[in-house]
Amino acid sequence: MLSILLLLAFSGAAGAADLYVICHPGVKLLATEVRDMFLGEKQFAGSVMLQPADNNAAQPVFLEKILNMGADKYATAWTKKSFRDGLNPPPVKGTDAEAVDYVRRTSGACSYVSTLPGPGVVLIASL
Amino acid sequence: MSHLRVLCIGLLLGLAAGFSHAAEAPRPQAGEAERLSALEARLDANAQTIEQLCARVRELELQLAQARPGAAPPASAAAQAQVAAVPAAAPPAATAEQSARLDRVESDLAQITAASSASSSADRGLAIHGFADVGVGNHNVYTPDRHGATVGSIDFYLAPQLGERVKGLVEMNVEVEHDTGSVGIDLERTQLGYQFSEAATLWLGRFHTPYGYYNTAFHHGLQILTALRRPQFLAFEDQGGIMPPHTTGLWLTGLAREGEARVQYDLFVGNGQHIVAGSLNAEPAGSFSRQVVFGGRLGLRPGGAWSDLQIGLSAFSGRIDADDVALGETRVNIGGLYAFYDSDRWENQFEMYFFRNQSLHNGTGTHHSTAGFAQLGYRAGLFTPYLRYEHTALDQSDVYFASQTYGTSYHREALGLRFDLNLKTALKAELAQTHNTDRMPYSFSDLLFQAAVRF
Repeated sequence: MLSILLLLAFSGAAGAADLYVICHPGVKLLATEVRDMFLGEKQFAGSVMLQPADNNAAQPVFLEKILNMGADKYATAWTKKSFRDGLNPPPVKGTDAEAVDYVRRTSGACSYVSTLPGPGVVLIASL
Repeated sequence: MSHLRVLCIGLLLGLAAGFSHAAEAPRPQAGEAERLSALEARLDANAQTIEQLCARVRELELQLAQARPGAAPPASAAAQAQVAAVPAAAPPAATAEQSARLDRVESDLAQITAASSASSSADRGLAIHGFADVGVGNHNVYTPDRHGATVGSIDFYLAPQLGERVKGLVEMNVEVEHDTGSVGIDLERTQLGYQFSEAATLWLGRFHTPYGYYNTAFHHGLQILTALRRPQFLAFEDQGGIMPPHTTGLWLTGLAREGEARVQYDLFVGNGQHIVAGSLNAEPAGSFSRQVVFGGRLGLRPGGAWSDLQIGLSAFSGRIDADDVALGETRVNIGGLYAFYDSDRWENQFEMYFFRNQSLHNGTGTHHSTAGFAQLGYRAGLFTPYLRYEHTALDQSDVYFASQTYGTSYHREALGLRFDLNLKTALKAELAQTHNTDRMPYSFSDLLFQAAVRF
């Protein structure tokens, strides 16, 4: 029983993150800029035009931990952004696999996933 | 797998203990005998199920052992004998078949994932969104001469992404004219833009003139406004506004960052405007004169603890002719300042404009006027009460104001409440007192209700 408890404790300390923010290789973005990007306030990283995508599977955690807002407020923010500035909200991918595939194949793409992604993407932040 | 075998054995021993206990119990009464028989039957059935499960466990263990590379054949011939109706050659074929099936499933999943991630909104057509509003009150929202229920407008907008850096924005408004009751259609905004960088986007077309905060943040969709209506002097041309809300021309806008602070700039130049039938006209078909209007705005969002605050200055200049007035051309110069505070709890706004207009032909010289408003809004869950004060002091010898139907000085106090029925539907109520202070001074009260939606 003690060995099981120790094993569980060790697993927690070694720590899988709840969320990984990833981008296409070549995107130079700070973790502190992720929020602005997903609210349409930051559209370029240097000369690279950013192409963020939401991930339906991990969105609740992302909204809570990065944007610090609920889904309603996020939807309203993008309605205003679209109506005022002609920007469209990020496309929504259904799963981690779709999000990773989108980021790998799209220049300037960024998204977030709940499991550590494999090669082909750059890890911007983990929470 | 060996743990499952131990579990099966334990269950069988438990059942056996139960039978023993029942056998040693005192002889039951007649009624209890039936219950005991039923329980025994259930125990028999459970014992059979457990035996079948144990056999299956042994079968899987055998397959696993044979599937491992270099694995030795099972040591116990008795264990093999307990695996019923399983041909000796079947396990390797079943494993190979399962592997092939898994490979096909993985391949299909990878293809579906790639296809789904590669699809984009551009492939699925263009989304049309919009707003609509209806109301009822003792007056029409824009004129005290009409009463009762009103149909406001239905406002469609499109924001097509026409390429990586090419943007479009179209806002088409179908509205009921508040003075005639007829239905009119306006292309309120039609602009195409190219985004060079974060610091520069160039728009061409008809856009909302960048002064203050209100005019470029709140367009023709009323659901997006906290209040029931725009400040009167900032209303659109056909609704009582005295400032040029639209410009047809070129608009350069961009953003610069310094740490957490952001500076936004706007520069525009457009067709010279006219006052026609008492209202400003942005000349979307081009201007007969070669005059232009031009101006700019500089805004600052400090960031940090003040990230919810935006402040700025604006300037507008242009020669505007009143078509119905002889010698009615004016050099209009408007300077403005604004502050907008938007947090989770508060939405507070302040804008002030200073007019220094020069009559160019009628010899009345330079005229000074002011216009401004302040609004406090408090977000309390689904309810947002607000308080607004509007004030204009417009020189009536200034032909720019004198030739406009709504160019009269006024002040208005309003108390209102917004209720968010859901994310897309807002119900609003406003109680207001308006005092017109020149031309024909008079006062009136409004009690207005509105339902505004977005889709």
